[in-house]
Amino acid sequence: MSVLRTEKISKQYPGCLALDQVTASFESGKVNALLGKNGSGKSTLVKCFAGAIQPTSGSFYLDDKELHFASTGEANAQGFATVYQEMSLVPSLTVAENIFLGRMPKKGVLIDWKKANADAAKLLDKMGVSINPKEIVSRLSMWQCQVVEITKAMSYNPRVLMLDEPTSSLATNEVESLFGVIRELKKQDIIIIYISHKLHEVPQITDTITVLRDGQLIGKVNTADVTNADIVNMMFGETQIRALPDDVRPQEEVVLEVKDLCRKDKFRDVSFSLRKGEVLGIAGMLGAGRTELLKSIFGADPYDSGQIFVNGEEVPRNASLVDRKKLGLGLTPENRKIEGLILIHSIRDNLCYASMDKTADGWLENRGRRAAAAEKQVKELEIKIPDINAPISSLSGGNQQKVVVGNWLNTEPQIMLYDEPSRGIDVNAKQQIFEIMWAQAKKGISTIFVSSELEELLEVCHRIIILKEGRIIGEVTPDEVNINQLYALSMGDKTNE
Amino acid sequence: MNKNKVKNLVLDHIIEILLILLVIVMAIASPNFLTVNNIMNILRNQALKGVIAFGMTMVIIAGQIDLSIGSQVALAGVIIARFCRDLPASGMSLTAACLLGILVAIIIAVLMGFIHAFAQHKFGMPAFIVTLATLNAMYGLAGMICGGFPIANVFPQWFLNIGVGRVAVVPVPAIILIVVFLIAHFVMTYTTTGRSIYAIGGNTEAARLSGIRVFKTKIVVFASVQVMCVLSAIMHSAQVASGSYSFGKGWEVDVISSVVVGGTSMAGGIGKPWGTLMGVLFMGVVINAMTILNVDIYAQYVVRGCIMAFAVLMATFQSKAKA
Repeated sequence: MSVLRTEKISKQYPGCLALDQVTASFESGKVNALLGKNGSGKSTLVKCFAGAIQPTSGSFYLDDKELHFASTGEANAQGFATVYQEMSLVPSLTVAENIFLGRMPKKGVLIDWKKANADAAKLLDKMGVSINPKEIVSRLSMWQCQVVEITKAMSYNPRVLMLDEPTSSLATNEVESLFGVIRELKKQDIIIIYISHKLHEVPQITDTITVLRDGQLIGKVNTADVTNADIVNMMFGETQIRALPDDVRPQEEVVLEVKDLCRKDKFRDVSFSLRKGEVLGIAGMLGAGRTELLKSIFGADPYDSGQIFVNGEEVPRNASLVDRKKLGLGLTPENRKIEGLILIHSIRDNLCYASMDKTADGWLENRGRRAAAAEKQVKELEIKIPDINAPISSLSGGNQQKVVVGNWLNTEPQIMLYDEPSRGIDVNAKQQIFEIMWAQAKKGISTIFVSSELEELLEVCHRIIILKEGRIIGEVTPDEVNINQLYALSMGDKTNE
Repeated sequence: MNKNKVKNLVLDHIIEILLILLVIVMAIASPNFLTVNNIMNILRNQALKGVIAFGMTMVIIAGQIDLSIGSQVALAGVIIARFCRDLPASGMSLTAACLLGILVAIIIAVLMGFIHAFAQHKFGMPAFIVTLATLNAMYGLAGMICGGFPIANVFPQWFLNIGVGRVAVVPVPAIILIVVFLIAHFVMTYTTTGRSIYAIGGNTEAARLSGIRVFKTKIVVFASVQVMCVLSAIMHSAQVASGSYSFGKGWEVDVISSVVVGGTSMAGGIGKPWGTLMGVLFMGVVINAMTILNVDIYAQYVVRGCIMAFAVLMATFQSKAKA
């Protein structure tokens, strides 16, 4: 049996202590869960083990041998393997080629296909799965890809195997198949560290649970000894939720009504209404259908059935995004760099694309009005810029996000849909984004706010609906529930209140 | 800070600077270069591909490409020639036949642009392949329409003047080139369509989610470049007084060279008609200079190839230097 042990390991980033004197241990032959909400430091710890970063102070030991990794290569050489949640396979190559990528067995200068396939078959066999080594990876199902990924890691004979959210892209029935493989791995004498945000999986597959919060070790427990509620408590602790300002109050008038909206494999029978000046949150885990729902309401994606009413009037199902923009809908997309901004263009241009038809005189640009619209948002949203003609890529994440918001506020929207507006921006910028939402709400703009950070929903919203596997499973107000209860509800865990 | 400004100014206007330097060097090297006649020749020679280059600039800024332009020049040329040859026999006046031919050529060009946009946008086919296919198809069509031989001496005099006429000392094609530049500049700078072209080339998904009509904009750019080919075909047919399937062969290389030399990014989203005008003039001056200096015709191709490669290298260097 071997043990991976850390001793007072710390990692200091500029302005942020990501790991604070963490002393933990992980044993072989077990699946060790490493849990914590976003920013808890669990990724930082794993990165230290993987050699991607070096701790500022403290040390870690594998069987009492102190280890220092200057690079990921050194970590690999010492038997540390990581399987990341993003697939790193080449889809057009075979399973065997992927497993032996860059080190295919050779006969002279030629590839020894026979040996490659035989070796791959042997490795896959050891995992207890029947996958043909000659199969092209793109023809495999998601869980099989994940297994190939693990097989590839195992082909290096690791002593420590880190699985980073291995089930995040898998369907429910696939998860069980992957778990079968992980249980098989447990029989070998390796240390498995399992990172997941899907709390309900933890009792099924793990033996121990190590919880981090704000960079500190909260504790290590045996999975068998605790309930989900205990784990949630360890992850979140006592959180102080700031209340919504009193003067941000929804009015009676309903501006948006969604009735039985369905999109195959995305969401089903979604119905809710939104009042004027209301901030409505949508809670749910990754893959619950939140983004898809917003995009369908906005007209960026189609939906199969159901009705949407804006100000009591039905929006035709084939109404385009452009039509819906005219009705006063706006959306800040989930991934601002890929969907929200044109990175090579200037701050001014990025503030004026959505409102182009509004600032122009018909098809003729009115440059004065366009410049004024851009200036207005820079001022009102307090966007920190060097020069309005500078490329948007020169701004920080928070300011970029404000530009995405400003781009839509220039259209004078009636209903704003925000998809993960606080992702990847610092605490101050987050607070400013929330204050923008409230300021707009006071002006009578209604808001739908999607966030993976449940504290944010509790802090910002009047009302929260909970989405799970594409269906609404509940509705709460922030004063009814605390964060732990909301978390349990989002997991669909009704027994745990 | 100031040094940086100077550096950026130089980097932004590298093509203008090179053009001026080249003109100065040539003016010293040959007394025949800096004459009104020679300058007008350069403009006239460059007009044919130049007008297409402005359409191509819009296509490339939109993040697309059109390789079929050469064949559209041929196709439009033979269509107009066939109308001029065949219709007057059935009693139509030559002028009417010619105008009808031009109209039909423009309609077909718009249709081709629509097909390109449709195939690229709705089916997700790469524009590179779609237009490579129509390059072949339209070449074949042009050959079928003219029967494999040039259709010569069928045009009315006013038509021929579009190619060879002059207003005072300025050749008509040179005037057309400048007018097309002004229109392209106006569209790209002062219209919502122009802004949309930059937006979809910069990030199609972000543009779509901002409520920009992506498909409509693609139709406009693909159709524009094809219509510019008709204009080019008119000037070309007028200059040689015939229409032939062999017109425009290989022009895509020269047209794309001019656009790229003018600083338009092949990745889309960045570029200016002004840059393309500079690119067109630069290439014109280089070719003219080599002719005056009696450079071997094959060596000229080597030089042109090197300039294109150099331009792309410069652009890469430019974006790195600014970052």
